[in-house]
Amino acid sequence: MSFSLAGKSILIVEDNPVFRKAMRDMLYSLQAVTVVEADNGIAAINAMSKSSFDIVLCDYNLGVGKNGQQVLEEARHRNLIDYRCVFVLISAEQTTSAVLGVMDSKPDEYLTKPFNAQQLMSRLTRNFARKEFMASIDKALAGGDLSKAIQLCDALLLSADKKMHLHLLKMRAELAISAGDFDKARQIYHEVLEHRELPWARLGLGVIDFQNNNIEQAIAGFQSLVADNPMLMECYDWLGKAYEALDQYNDVESVLQQALQLSPQSILRQKKLAEAADKNGNLETAEKAYKSVVKLGKHSVHRACSDFSGLAKLYAKTNAADEALKTLEEMRKEYANHPEAELRASTVEADVYKTLGNEELSQKALLKAVDICGRMGNKAPRDLQLEVVKTCFLSDEHDKAEEILYDLIHAHIDDEQFLNDLRRMQSGIGMDNHSEILIQKTKQALIATNNKGVALYKQGKFAEALALFEQAILTMPDNKTIIVNMLKIMIHDLKVNEFCEEKNQRIKALINKAKQIGVDQHKLGILQMEYAKLRQSQTAKA
Amino acid sequence: MQTNPKSNGLFPTILASTVHDIKNSLGTLLELVRQTAAKQDGQSAELNQLEFEAARINHSLMQLLVMYKVDSQKFSLDIEECPVIEIVDEAIHQQARLAGLHNIDLQVDCAADEMCYCDNAIISNSLAAVLNNALRYTHKTILIVVAEEDGYLTIAIEDDGEGYPPHFLGADLNDTAELDWVSGNTGLGLYFVSVMAGLHKNAGKSGFVQIDNESRLGGARFKLFLP
Repeated sequence: MSFSLAGKSILIVEDNPVFRKAMRDMLYSLQAVTVVEADNGIAAINAMSKSSFDIVLCDYNLGVGKNGQQVLEEARHRNLIDYRCVFVLISAEQTTSAVLGVMDSKPDEYLTKPFNAQQLMSRLTRNFARKEFMASIDKALAGGDLSKAIQLCDALLLSADKKMHLHLLKMRAELAISAGDFDKARQIYHEVLEHRELPWARLGLGVIDFQNNNIEQAIAGFQSLVADNPMLMECYDWLGKAYEALDQYNDVESVLQQALQLSPQSILRQKKLAEAADKNGNLETAEKAYKSVVKLGKHSVHRACSDFSGLAKLYAKTNAADEALKTLEEMRKEYANHPEAELRASTVEADVYKTLGNEELSQKALLKAVDICGRMGNKAPRDLQLEVVKTCFLSDEHDKAEEILYDLIHAHIDDEQFLNDLRRMQSGIGMDNHSEILIQKTKQALIATNNKGVALYKQGKFAEALALFEQAILTMPDNKTIIVNMLKIMIHDLKVNEFCEEKNQRIKALINKAKQIGVDQHKLGILQMEYAKLRQSQTAKA
Repeated sequence: MQTNPKSNGLFPTILASTVHDIKNSLGTLLELVRQTAAKQDGQSAELNQLEFEAARINHSLMQLLVMYKVDSQKFSLDIEECPVIEIVDEAIHQQARLAGLHNIDLQVDCAADEMCYCDNAIISNSLAAVLNNALRYTHKTILIVVAEEDGYLTIAIEDDGEGYPPHFLGADLNDTAELDWVSGNTGLGLYFVSVMAGLHKNAGKSGFVQIDNESRLGGARFKLFLP
């Protein structure tokens, strides 16, 4: 074997000194020079923030503190390792992502203890070969250049490397979905399935159905897929999303329960379960799930202050006021000087003190919440703003409530799921249909603006159309429809009128804004691709 | 009275945790043996025996854990396309030390670009267990042959030893309800690989295993069929 570890910087993360020594010896026998060791998760994260590694060999079971999966999640989340790094997760038993509760971050390789130098060497060789093969695509993707990634992937597919062919096809289909090119993705999946029934291709077809809003069909596909592959955890997550799109929270809850029975370590899944059960009024399930979330969050990059306030709210609902206040106290300790945490805590407190009959403290907490909410403005998470509205209504602070509601409805008028949450909240406090008139009026205003803008655009009056939308966005900040329309007009403008740097900058800023406010990737992808093509032909001309 | 751990459903968790814990200790034990053996240049027969036994316990525990998951429906294969040579190499690497100790000549006949669809971790582990047996019973040579046969991919492991004893040859390995032959390490290993093969399905076909004494080297022949 010609592969050598000389020149590669390697991090070993292992709490057991015997294994640490074994791995170190093994690496030196493979000509490694730069070997750094960490005996716990925090030390590993610190090492990765100080220097960059080509290889991380990380044990799953690190004793107290973070486990190996949590180290990986944090390293990726904080960009401590990039696409070139080979991350190997080591464990004592044959593990799969399902067992470890992985939801969004898989290691490059799993290795079962004990292993010898030959095994390690062949795994590393294989991974480096694969990374090298895919490096150009990964680099383009890391730089956000979808269209270049697709070009490179197509070129590699033509190179007819038998070993990498299927891997490339999978990548190509995923790129097509990101670019909103569902026909291409569907064609690839069907081609793959003709040769072999592979779960990922079947899953891909379901995802396309979902994105095309054929939710019922997507659900049918996902259901038959999990029936045959009970450990395909991704599929449960998609099923949950699909039920959520249909507002069927009982089904969301049961599907997540099923997934968590098989794989209880996933904090993100536990959060979703807690929220769904809470919505369904199944307080016992929600409480249990929130407790797991708080516990799993202890060492996870996915922990959030809302985990604590979620649990506290549940205690409040079950009249366990003491527990609720205790949880909030714990939260304040963990999140000192954190406006969102303080806002969450005050909102729940207002509620709890009210049920305890302490009007004075309740009023004080509410005022504090309203004050922070006002200062945070749009930055306050919308679910939290809804909470504040609710508490205001319950405390007869109607003016304040309506003020926040007005902004919320304008900002999220085209998000039916959020509007449903809003309606649910109002029904919950006996105010059925309270905002219906405002919602309908706002919707009509949006439609009117859109029609007017599109009409101007069709007459070729791009500047006027854009000005109209600019105006509209002042009253409906973060409105996805308007942002997407503006992008469409600007891109069309580039097609018929001349290029200038100012327009480019503006488009880039709009794309970033669209990403920020959560425009669906595939909707944005189509526009990104179109823009990339225009830029290319422009540079070709120049 | 709640004294039976099964009654509150905790037993499976306890079983899995216990096996996990044993595996952890065993790993440390195995590593210490290796490190001690390395200091003595690997000359001690007792240490080699110790290492071999520890590796065997480790293998059995891994199989036990997988079978437990299959039984409690917490298992599904992770099917991917993979070069066959990588699977074979992984099995060989797992057994590299044993092969070196016994000075066995290991020959592989497999095209570099031969691909197959399977759960490669499960298949290479199963093959490693079979290979472990072959290494113990062969005299000098082991041959691993990959081929295609009737729409199946086959991986054969052949040796020049005494061959399988009659009670294995007479057994139907793929009838996992009839378990008379499942005893001892050889039997357990064969049972495991036969269950794992059976879980591999494609286009109405299931995987299976075959054993006989028709090795072209004169000893036992094991053959895995993947659909």
